[in-house]
Amino acid sequence: MTDPTFRAGFDATLETAINTALRYDPGSRARLGKLAGKVLGVNLTAPAMSLFLFIDDEGEGGYIEVHSRWDGEVTTELSGSALAFIQLLRNRDATPAKLGVTVRGSSALLAELQSTLRELDIDWEEPVSKLIGDSPAHQLGTGVRMAASWLKDALGTAPKATAEAVSEEWRMTPPQAQFEAFAEDVAEFSHGVDRLEARLAILQRKFAAQVKAASGKPGQEKR
Amino acid sequence: MTERKTTHFGYQQVPVEEKAGRVADVFHSVAARYDVMNDLMSGGVHRLWKRFTIELSAARPGQTILDIAGGTGDLTARFSRIVGPTGKVVLADINASMLKVGRDRLLDRGIAGNVETVQADAQYLPFPDNTFDCITIAFGLRNVTDKDLALRSMLRVLKPGGRLLVLEFSKPESKLLEKVYDQYSFRLLPFMGKLVADDADSYRYLAESIRMHPDQETLKGMMSDAGFVDCEFHNMTGGIVALHKGIKP
Repeated sequence: MTDPTFRAGFDATLETAINTALRYDPGSRARLGKLAGKVLGVNLTAPAMSLFLFIDDEGEGGYIEVHSRWDGEVTTELSGSALAFIQLLRNRDATPAKLGVTVRGSSALLAELQSTLRELDIDWEEPVSKLIGDSPAHQLGTGVRMAASWLKDALGTAPKATAEAVSEEWRMTPPQAQFEAFAEDVAEFSHGVDRLEARLAILQRKFAAQVKAASGKPGQEKR
Repeated sequence: MTERKTTHFGYQQVPVEEKAGRVADVFHSVAARYDVMNDLMSGGVHRLWKRFTIELSAARPGQTILDIAGGTGDLTARFSRIVGPTGKVVLADINASMLKVGRDRLLDRGIAGNVETVQADAQYLPFPDNTFDCITIAFGLRNVTDKDLALRSMLRVLKPGGRLLVLEFSKPESKLLEKVYDQYSFRLLPFMGKLVADDADSYRYLAESIRMHPDQETLKGMMSDAGFVDCEFHNMTGGIVALHKGIKP
C-alpha cells in the first residue's frame, strides 16, 4: 500500500488547485454552491485510484473537498480510465456510455458538473493584479487575450494556408481541382477494370462449360 | 520504607506524580511557538498526517467529536467545519497554555458556535459514558503518565461503534531511516528548538519521549487490552508516525 502521506499530499494539492481556480470564477462557484452536500466518486481503472469530491458550501459559493475514502452515501459514482475521463470533460458531445465510463447513482450531478466545468471562466487578471497592480495586470491580460485570439485564428487558418503554399507556391502537390479530376479518372479506370474482370469471369465459365460438354462425348462412346 | 513508583520522562525516571507537572512545563514553554515549530520540524508534513486522520475519522454532520491534546486546534478546526451547526467538537487539553493558544486561534479564524474548550486529563475524562462518535488524540498519548488508564477512559466516553484514532510518533520501518531519523531528532531538533523557541531542553524531551513511546504493535495490543475491537494501524512516512484506529464494541 502507498504511504498515506503521499496520497494525503496529492489530495491536498488537488483540492488547493481546484479551489484556487474557483475563487477567480464566482459564477461557477455559485453554481457549485447549489450542489452542496453532494458527493462524486471517481474510480480510475488505469491508473487504479479512487477519489471522492465532496461539494461544500462556504457561504460565498461551493468548495470542493478531495477525499481518498468516503464512508457515507455517494451521489454519483463513475468508473473508467483516466483518458476516458479527460475526454468526458473536454468533448462536448462525449457521453459516458460512448467512452466506456460506467455511471452509478444520479446522472443529474454529472450533467451539472460537466456543464459547470465547460463554462468555467477563470479571471486570471484578479490574482495577477494582486502581484503587479490593477493597470499592469489589465494591460497584460489584454495582451494575453490578443495573443490567444491571434493564435486561435492562426491555428484555424493554418491548414488552408499550408495547403495553398504546398500546391500553388512550391508545386509539391497538384492543385485540388486537378487532383480531383485525376482521382475521378482513376476511379473510372478502376470501375472499367472491374467490369472487364466480370466479363472475363463470364467468358471463363462459358468456355469451361463447353470444354466439359466436348470431353463428355468420348466417354459415352466407351460404354 | 516504601519505594516511590516511577515512570519515564524522556530518558529520565521520575516519580509518577511528577510527570504531569514536568510535561506541563514543557508545553507551557513551547505553546506560543508550537505551530511554527511543528511546521519547521516536520517540513509541513504534520498537516498531511492530520489530513489522513480526518479521512479515517469518517466524521459526518451532526456528530460529536472529542479532540484530546488538541493543542492549537488544527484538527478541531477541520472537525468543526465537517460536523456543522448540528454537531459539536470538544477541544480538550491538560495544558492551560496550549488550550488558551488553541482557543484564541480558533476564534481568530472565526470558528465558534459548535466548539467547546475543556481543560481535561486524558486519564480521567470529565464526560458522561457514551458521549462521543469519535475521539482523536494527535501527538498527545506519549505524554500521558498512564496510557492504559487513558485508553480505558476514552473507551468509556465513546459511543458504541464510535472510533478512537491515535496519531503518534512511532518506530520507522527501515533501519536506515531510523538512523537518519535519530540524527535528526537528537542533533538537529534541539538545535532548531534553541534557535526558534530558545528552548533546546523541551525539544530534547520531545525526541526522547518519542523513543520511549510504545511501537506500533505494542500500542495496538494496548488498545485491544483496553477493550477496543478491530484495532489496526497505518504507518505514515515510513513509520515515523503511525495512526492507530480502534472501535468501541
